[in-house]
Amino acid sequence: MTTTTAPAPAPSREPGRRRSRRTALLGRQPLGIAFAAPYALFLATVFAYPLGLAVWISFHDYFFAAPGATVPRPFVGFDNYVTVLSDADVRQSFVNVGIFLLINVPLTVVLALLLATALNTAIRGRTFFRVSYYVPYITASVAVVAVWLVLFSKDGLVNQLLGALAPDPSWLVNETLAMPLIAVFVTWKQLGLYILLYLAALQNVPKELYESAQVDGATRWQQMRNVTVPGVRPATTLVVILAFITGANLFTEPYLLTGGGGPDGASASPVLVMYQKGIQQGNADVAAAIGVLLVVAVLIVSLVNRRLLERD
Amino acid sequence: MNRTATAAALLTVALGATACGGGDSGGSSDDLATKGPIKIWLSNNPEELAWGKAMVADWNAAHPKEKVTAQEIPAGKSSEEVIGAAITAGNAPCLVYNTSPAAVPQFQKQGGLVALDDFPGGADYIESRSGDTAEQYKSPDGKYYQLPWKSNPVMIFYNKDLLKKAGVDPENPPLSTYDDFLATSEKIVSSGAAQAAIWPSPASEFFQSWFDFYPLYAAQSGGKQLVEDGKATFNDADGQAVANFWAEMYEKGYSQKEAASGDVFADEKAAMAIVGPWAIAVYGDKVDWGAAPVPTESGTSPEETWTFSDAKNVAIYSACKAKGTAWGLLKFSTSKEQDGSLLDKTGQMPLRSDLESAYPDYFSSHPDYEQFAAQAARTVEVPNVPNSIEIWQTFRDNYSNAVIFGKESVDAALQKSADEIDKLAGQS
Amino acid sequence: MTQAAPRVAGGPARSGHSPAEPAPGAGRAALGSVLRMVALVLGAFVFLFPFYYMLVQSLQDESDTSVGGALPIGGWTLDNYSDINSRVDLAGSLVNSGIFTGGVILGTVVFGVLAGYALARLHFRGQGMLFAAMLLVQLVPFQLLMIPLYVMIVRNYGLADSYLGMILPFAINSTAVFIFRQFFLQLPEDLFSAARIDGAGELRILWSIALPLVRPALLTAVLITFIGPWNEFLWPFLITKDTDMQPLAVSLANYLSNVAGRASNPYGAILAGACVLAAPAVALFVAFQRHFTTSDLGSGVKG
Repeated sequence: MTTTTAPAPAPSREPGRRRSRRTALLGRQPLGIAFAAPYALFLATVFAYPLGLAVWISFHDYFFAAPGATVPRPFVGFDNYVTVLSDADVRQSFVNVGIFLLINVPLTVVLALLLATALNTAIRGRTFFRVSYYVPYITASVAVVAVWLVLFSKDGLVNQLLGALAPDPSWLVNETLAMPLIAVFVTWKQLGLYILLYLAALQNVPKELYESAQVDGATRWQQMRNVTVPGVRPATTLVVILAFITGANLFTEPYLLTGGGGPDGASASPVLVMYQKGIQQGNADVAAAIGVLLVVAVLIVSLVNRRLLERD
Repeated sequence: MNRTATAAALLTVALGATACGGGDSGGSSDDLATKGPIKIWLSNNPEELAWGKAMVADWNAAHPKEKVTAQEIPAGKSSEEVIGAAITAGNAPCLVYNTSPAAVPQFQKQGGLVALDDFPGGADYIESRSGDTAEQYKSPDGKYYQLPWKSNPVMIFYNKDLLKKAGVDPENPPLSTYDDFLATSEKIVSSGAAQAAIWPSPASEFFQSWFDFYPLYAAQSGGKQLVEDGKATFNDADGQAVANFWAEMYEKGYSQKEAASGDVFADEKAAMAIVGPWAIAVYGDKVDWGAAPVPTESGTSPEETWTFSDAKNVAIYSACKAKGTAWGLLKFSTSKEQDGSLLDKTGQMPLRSDLESAYPDYFSSHPDYEQFAAQAARTVEVPNVPNSIEIWQTFRDNYSNAVIFGKESVDAALQKSADEIDKLAGQS
Repeated sequence: MTQAAPRVAGGPARSGHSPAEPAPGAGRAALGSVLRMVALVLGAFVFLFPFYYMLVQSLQDESDTSVGGALPIGGWTLDNYSDINSRVDLAGSLVNSGIFTGGVILGTVVFGVLAGYALARLHFRGQGMLFAAMLLVQLVPFQLLMIPLYVMIVRNYGLADSYLGMILPFAINSTAVFIFRQFFLQLPEDLFSAARIDGAGELRILWSIALPLVRPALLTAVLITFIGPWNEFLWPFLITKDTDMQPLAVSLANYLSNVAGRASNPYGAILAGACVLAAPAVALFVAFQRHFTTSDLGSGVKG
């Protein structure tokens, strides 16, 4: 995110307030602690505690047991991580998510920017278009997946339109096509949010830049490349990072669209595998290890991403 | 960025320290005789629900101080997850009338189940009701953690109209040997009578093998489970015969590699289906159906054909605060009278010995169900071993790869499965 | 990057703002705008087609997946909807969804605004760490936390089968906090320093200055916060066994997984369920999208 390192703007002058020990200890406006306290408490309970527990679990031989049942929970160091990394299914799921991201993120950025630019102009029926692009975003995956399943099934509309070009085996049971199809589905579904973000960012690109570019004889395409794209760079960073995080944590779509992970695990995502191993098969320790690895990987890539994209 | 790293580190380390199990040991009474109001869960199959509600009403009328509240849980693929989570949280109900035998090892490991042997006369009650079949439901420690409740022995349903269209005798279709089955399937598909001869779900959830491989394996091997004495049994001529049969069905297109939405048999997209007697209520009017036992390689007489039981059982969960009442209700709901009511309302087979002679009136007025009652005496259950769900998932993954998608040789896949499963079943 | 002058949010709705490029001139611009229109229409068609298909098939009495089936002439029926209504208490589930979502929105708006404001404009110990934690939250998949959270909420707090139990893990949406923070950061510094110079207490500043201006960000945040709990299936599914308490997403999923297979047009029944779930969200959005302009999010994406 672009503004991570921007601290709260310091007031330039504060006559009448002593730099007391209280200020040094608690900050200039300690009331902020009170304001932020409910949120902090919420985070600590609902997020930090389970996360800490999950990390702890990943270092032990652990499964969930009934209260009052005494079960041994020996510390096993990195054993779970070793198991996870040597499991072909888990490795495959990370590869799958990689494929997904390679398709989804660039597609999202390009489409969102193009559509946002188009929507930004004074055209008729703008409201209609806005609504139509946002609608997939606000509907539940559970609801929408059903339609896609029907459309892309072996005798579905898409295959009937494609006729001889229809892939065999059909889309969702096709090893090479299953994940890309999911990537397209998720792009379609999430695009509304990113169009929104880009639309907002486009407001901040000053008209004067376009005017001067036009005066210089630039075509619309060149204007796009030289004014728009650099102008919305912070938004692009945000879109890339958000799309990346959402994609890395993909669960609902593989779960609903391809049941147990698709043909030979070709559309399993790490979170799906985590869910299967942890909740269906009761191996909470291995699942926690997968989860921690995923979070760490996402964290690292996000930071790298931000560094790369923000280089000005 | 320094801040983020520090925050993350602090959060996880500091709070990892607090993560010492959390929670107290619940106040569940260990006394098996306590009585009081209890909660039970029923599956949301409409007919079972109707039976359940009537049964509960009867009990409540007779036991006003031990009132039973029934709730329904989805019978779908996630019911085991729901129960597992409830066990962990300590709010599982006293009885779940939808406990899958495949999940019992896991629930037992979690400490979530009560051994029925611990109740006075527990084991006797189970064995006198179910006879020899009860043996399959014992846990490795020799105790019963589930009461075998009802089964849905699977057979081959066929659509007489579609068979007629395909030029196959609808009253006695040749389906008892693999060769016959394949030939009939060929006629069905090539005549265009249906899209698929038979369309078991090709999805990769762990339980899907119960409806394609396992019933045929039970028949072919004469009643063997997938795992016996801690070792996989299917890596032999029988297992290979079954797997190769299915591989041929998929290869020749008699079965589809893609899952369908909706019910393919009811929609007449498939001419046959592997289902149990619950299907009679569903298909009864829509399809002119007949039923036959599952095929074996060289054919077996119906009286000697085994199949998969698709049983659902009842267990008492350790979070129960009034175990005495739970045991009482369990016996009440599996009495001859209540079993008869279950049979009547749902058509599913209570796991009692000598079913046909116990309810002669029912079977004479419902001849359709009679063959299922006979079949119910020869059913194979999923093996009660540790890591049971993981075992089935492993099997399914390899099966899917080789048999359905033909990416690997069948024999190699069976070998791989057997090796992995041996390891899993051997863990305690 | 270049920045426009900091804008005071809370201005009038900007739907009439000037387009990105100034007055069209030659025929080239006209061709461009035609192409643009075509692209947009095509895009809208692709985006909306699945919904059209969903609606149409749900009103059919027989499923037909052929190309012709996309434009059916006859066979209309409301049976699929009545099927669902007989099996699932649609009204009750909608109410539950409303309570669940409403609770989350309430929690987010009340506590999120406070937190966002504090992170943006106040200076206090632990601020940086809280900000980092807020970002971190958005990274972690819910499935990793699900069971420990479930155990905590049910075992330790005893909140199974309760609205509070449903709401708690979602009570304050961190993305909304981020939006609020970004928004408050964009407000001109002078507003605050002037007030401080005049000796106003922090509470007073929050109440009289910051809050009245927050409306645009509020709408954005509400939209983003709404979608989560409204469509959330997994968590309420775990927490509630009592069918009276289940929100619509859960009831429909139960229906889909068990009963739809028995309807006369299973496809249609499934899709009818999908329409029912989607309709309120779409309706609400269409109703409010006018108010919900793009300028508020602008603060989130400026440098």
